[in-house]
Amino acid sequence: MLRLFHSLRRHAPLVRNFVDKDLRGRYVGSTVGFFWSLVNPLLSLATYTFVFSYVLESRWSPQQPLAQVVLMMYLGIVTWGCHAEILSRCTGTLVENGNLIKKVVFPSEVLPSYIAVSALFNMLIGLGFVLLGVLIFGYIAPLADPTPAGWTPAPGELPFQPLRLGASALCLPLLFALHLGFSVGMGFLLSTLNLIVRDVGHFASAFLTIWMFGTPIFYPEAMVRERGFGWVVDANPMAWVVDSYRAILLFGAWPEPLVLAKLTLVAGFAMWAGTRFFFKNQHRFADFL
Amino acid sequence: MSEQAGQTAGRERTSAIYAEDLSKCYRIYKKPIHKLWDVLFQSRSYQEFWAVRNVYLDIPHGSTVGIIGENGAGKSSLLKLLTGITIPSSGKVEVKGRVASLLELGAGFHPEFTGRENIRLNCAILGMTPEETAARFQKIVEFSELGEFIDRPVKTYSSGMYVRLGFSVAASVDPDILIIDEALSVGDEHFRGKCTNRLNEFREQGKTIVFVSHDMGAVKSMCKWVVLMDQGRILEQGTAEQVADAYLKRAKARGNERMSMVQRGKSEYPRWGSGEVEVMHFEMLDEHRQPTHVIQTGRPYSIRMVWKAHRECANPVFGVGLYRTDGTYLNGSNHQWREQPIELLRVVPGDEGEVEIFVDRMPLQHGQYYLTLFLYDHSKASPTAIDHREHVFTFEVLDVERAQHGLIAVPSRWTLTRRGPSGDASLESRA
Repeated sequence: MLRLFHSLRRHAPLVRNFVDKDLRGRYVGSTVGFFWSLVNPLLSLATYTFVFSYVLESRWSPQQPLAQVVLMMYLGIVTWGCHAEILSRCTGTLVENGNLIKKVVFPSEVLPSYIAVSALFNMLIGLGFVLLGVLIFGYIAPLADPTPAGWTPAPGELPFQPLRLGASALCLPLLFALHLGFSVGMGFLLSTLNLIVRDVGHFASAFLTIWMFGTPIFYPEAMVRERGFGWVVDANPMAWVVDSYRAILLFGAWPEPLVLAKLTLVAGFAMWAGTRFFFKNQHRFADFL
Repeated sequence: MSEQAGQTAGRERTSAIYAEDLSKCYRIYKKPIHKLWDVLFQSRSYQEFWAVRNVYLDIPHGSTVGIIGENGAGKSSLLKLLTGITIPSSGKVEVKGRVASLLELGAGFHPEFTGRENIRLNCAILGMTPEETAARFQKIVEFSELGEFIDRPVKTYSSGMYVRLGFSVAASVDPDILIIDEALSVGDEHFRGKCTNRLNEFREQGKTIVFVSHDMGAVKSMCKWVVLMDQGRILEQGTAEQVADAYLKRAKARGNERMSMVQRGKSEYPRWGSGEVEVMHFEMLDEHRQPTHVIQTGRPYSIRMVWKAHRECANPVFGVGLYRTDGTYLNGSNHQWREQPIELLRVVPGDEGEVEIFVDRMPLQHGQYYLTLFLYDHSKASPTAIDHREHVFTFEVLDVERAQHGLIAVPSRWTLTRRGPSGDASLESRA
């Protein structure tokens, strides 16, 4: 892990070049590239909103205003999207850049790293829109509390919470670090594994879909617990990540310390194991290709 | 192999590249999953392939060394070890100084980006800081001579332009050691000339150059010291002249092997004729009257045919056509169209014999060629085919001297005279 930090300090210009190439490839390459990067999540958001909040009536609390449901889902999509992007792109990156590994003396740890930076950048754009939403629906035109007077929430149901930002935003850098640490750690592991056995790529994309629906992005955690699948959420670090983002960015609440502690352990382990496996096999990458 | 090992005493100061008992083993797995078992549990479900075996190398600073061998001799594997792209399975390698390798030009190019953007990216990949890149940027652009194409995406480039940009970047690295893997064999004459100039500059600046090729001519023109590799081992090393002989012997053996394999496979070429007389056997003989498929430029050879008559025939004439592999007709002759023609008037069933054409000097330069048999009956107004066989024989011409360029070697001599203050002189050189 230390080795990674040292290397990245040395190869910072290289990482910057790759990120630059990547982002510009995405946003400048096509005529309305930036437009697509905005429209695509919005389209999927519209689809998921329709399916989950209209058809399946998923709500975090009864009579929750639609704008809040949409924001919660959107935040989930954006943060999950960052994780999924890192994992799926890291998986293929060593094989795709085989030319660099086989023909040039190249610090291959740059590849998963630049993907993470690039994914973080994309997530920040998405979070910007979340903030915009919070400003509008929390401050400029606040949503009214729809719950009738004297109503008490059933166990597991959340009372209405207004959209707020608060001092808890100070936790964001820590959360970014833990979130990315977890994703990148797994990314390093998967990139190496996929270099050794190409099937890992197929497995990873299937697994990511399952994982996404196993994470409370489109439905409240309480619904899973009611049906006895609470362990799915409890054992899913991405559920902790999404939940913490929501607490901080939507409701101005502090994330649960216990969850953060668990996340620190898991992210730390992922980073340690992932980079260790990567660097232990790095000298043989050219032979694997 | 060991003559170099004797010099190890002073290598701390003088060696740019030093390899001792260097070996590289690739693991060949039957199934991909075995790779995983090997990585995770060190299970040994693989076959070993030793691409480089027990190599000793001691390359002093400032020298230009050529590594030569057939395809698969282990040259590229050795280069990868020297550059540090792969690590040795055993033995050690020490490289002192900044290495630039031209194993593949433009390996890190991104097709969607313009030439300019790719220069920046590739410079970063080659380990330059942004400041270094900025300092060299203009020189790289100029050297590549891409003109307005420098602002177009690389995917619109021709392969020649691609290589030009790649070389321009690689040559700008300012390395202590330059490792080149036949990368210069592409591009047009003009750019190749520029590359050669750049390499000469490197050499004059006292940089070390390691040059890899399977072309003895190219290596001889570049390098004084040559290392000949075969099947992963160093077969011989020494001055270019010393190694050339060994190389030639090997190349002949290999060429013969390859050509006779080609021969066996190629029976689908057209053959027609009335068939009164048949050529039973067709072969090429070298100066020692040994059958061969490989002839050296400037050396004598002959083509021998054994024939047999099956039916009566009035006036059979044997001829041979010589072609380059692209189909260019280079030469054709027979034994009748001569000042002193040989006439074979009337053959009857049971007649047989031999016919042979002798050539004093092989006039062709390096390359692959084939022969076509013309056996025609000249008794009628226009000759009719008795046995016409396209592509009856394939052979290779080797040219190690490379005294001349082009398609044919012309026996020639040069004279040069000088008069004036620096004295009179009249010089002459034979080919």
